[in-house]
Amino acid sequence: MTFNDRIFGILMIVLAVAYGWGTTQFNEPFGGTEAVGPETFPRLLAAVLALSSLYMIVRPDPDNAWPWSRTGIELIVAVVVLIFYAALLQPLGFIISTTLAVGTLCWRMGSRPVKAYVTGAVSGVVVYLLFNFALDLALPLGLLSFLEVS
Amino acid sequence: METLGFLMDGFGVALQPHNLMFALIGAFLGTLIGALPGLGPANGVAILIPLAFTLGLAPETAMIMLTSVYAGAMYGGRISSILLNIPGDEPAMMTCLDGYPMAQQGKASEALAISAVASFIGSLIATIGLILLAPLLADFALTFGPAEYFALFLLAFATLGGITGKNPMKTVVAAAIGLMIATVGIDNTGVQRYTFGVLELYEGVDFIIAIVGLFAISELLFFIEEKAGGGKEKMAVNKLTLKWKDIRNILPSSIRGGVLGFIAGVLPGAGASLGSFIGYTLEKKVIGKKGFFGQGDPRGVAGPEAGNNGASSGALVPMLTLGVPGSGTTAVLLALLISLNITPGPLMFTQNADIVWGVIAALLIGNFLLLILNIPLVGIFVKLLSVPPMYLLPVVTMIAFVGIYSISNTTFDLYFMVAFGVGGYVLRKLEIPLVPVILGLLLGPEMEKNLRHAMDIADGDWTILWDSGLAIGLWVFAGLGLILPYIVGPLLRRRMKVTTGTGGPEGD
Repeated sequence: MTFNDRIFGILMIVLAVAYGWGTTQFNEPFGGTEAVGPETFPRLLAAVLALSSLYMIVRPDPDNAWPWSRTGIELIVAVVVLIFYAALLQPLGFIISTTLAVGTLCWRMGSRPVKAYVTGAVSGVVVYLLFNFALDLALPLGLLSFLEVS
Repeated sequence: METLGFLMDGFGVALQPHNLMFALIGAFLGTLIGALPGLGPANGVAILIPLAFTLGLAPETAMIMLTSVYAGAMYGGRISSILLNIPGDEPAMMTCLDGYPMAQQGKASEALAISAVASFIGSLIATIGLILLAPLLADFALTFGPAEYFALFLLAFATLGGITGKNPMKTVVAAAIGLMIATVGIDNTGVQRYTFGVLELYEGVDFIIAIVGLFAISELLFFIEEKAGGGKEKMAVNKLTLKWKDIRNILPSSIRGGVLGFIAGVLPGAGASLGSFIGYTLEKKVIGKKGFFGQGDPRGVAGPEAGNNGASSGALVPMLTLGVPGSGTTAVLLALLISLNITPGPLMFTQNADIVWGVIAALLIGNFLLLILNIPLVGIFVKLLSVPPMYLLPVVTMIAFVGIYSISNTTFDLYFMVAFGVGGYVLRKLEIPLVPVILGLLLGPEMEKNLRHAMDIADGDWTILWDSGLAIGLWVFAGLGLILPYIVGPLLRRRMKVTTGTGGPEGD
């Protein structure tokens, strides 16, 4: 099976064309054009990417299997956890969001839930204290801001 | 001896108490990073970069710390090779061959001590080589014009896969992707390119975010896929009974390995894995029938281990003198230099002499620190090996998040990092190497600048790019770098495979 390289090659050619077309949309640089304008280097890159992707389509390597089914879902869960971690870092505060994120990841990777969330909480608190007191960098407290010592 | 004077100044920098302390911390963290499964040296250094920033370290201190981390990671890699038969990165593969049998025979601590001594000798030789060679190369590099630099960057990309690389075309694809990402933002004539009106993109993509995402996040995803959360069983470590005679026995092997490794490290396209491979095969040839290679011969541990450490110090030569890294980890170190606003290359030796020589002196000092750290403290590192990845990797991911967040205090960067992580996972699945992407990100602006300079000088005449003998030479080598893997690559790869019996993980 050699689908992966071919599909990726086609996607990359599409990218190369779009990227190359993008060079026609640049504004004229201030002071007129020179021998090498802002569009020259990107056009070279677009050509290189298109040619090398073409090679991938013509002579693809054998595929690595993609993790469908359960493992695939686990991967999606992990990515979703990371996105939520990023989104909730400020509103919930560092300690709570870390407990949730690290805990969930540990749990999904095979640890027992209680141990997982304890790991999350401990690592969150330790890193928070380290950053706030030893390194003097404020991480958001969020919901726990009532604990703040002024 | 001008060099000696500079080196003394370097020691003056490196021996300042706080620099010495950070070198020690770096060496310790590095060994830890190297020893822990799932944290390669490039990965580990990448995660620590944002922390070096947020700590507000002086440039030379940050550089000294991360170089120590780099050196330490090379030491640490051998611990999991010997005890678990899992090489931390590709160059460590050869150490498994005789290291693991030694551990099985109940000589684990001897194997660890021997490899520490061999690593020390290898790095020491290579650091001395670096001191001798780097100023010469830097002087030579001063004669490079913009056209030569442009060709040199091409050479760097072409040889990045190494002559043992699988598919050079994929390196080209990866490099093009990296360079394309580097063009995002406002270019140096003030034109916006590919910003789509998003304010965060005006300054371009921060390569530190990209590096941490590509390495750390994709590693987490790989571990989840392989369900490798449980970790491996721990090997018992006996009490050390190393005699002076044993060390004397491995000395010749270590010296040969170190010299070979250094040469392999300096040459573009060879790299540490070839260094340790040659180190091992040479030992086999030289010692011949008298040895018992593959069944726990100490010299089979010493040769490749010295070679691997020699190569990693040797790889610093092109990075420091030309600004062109030859491996993933040196690319990450280059990222640090660029973000500290230091332009790597020959001028660095005159303009930032204190940093360059401070780092080189720190390498020497770091070697001694590592040797001292590694022999008595090996027990601690072995204990840490048994931390299962299911706890380790989430915590490492969290540290990556904190590091990136603390640079700019925005969540936008975090989303970006996750996106790079997913992208890195897909690329790795397709066996497209990540290091050229990163190198493209790092070198893109410089490459374009040199192209512009060259063309401006020649008034738009493209032939300037291959007008001088030097430039032609560089183009030829770049071409060879892409063609040779097709001819020599399969042969060499098969030989390495026969020797190790495994395919081994992705390179450093």
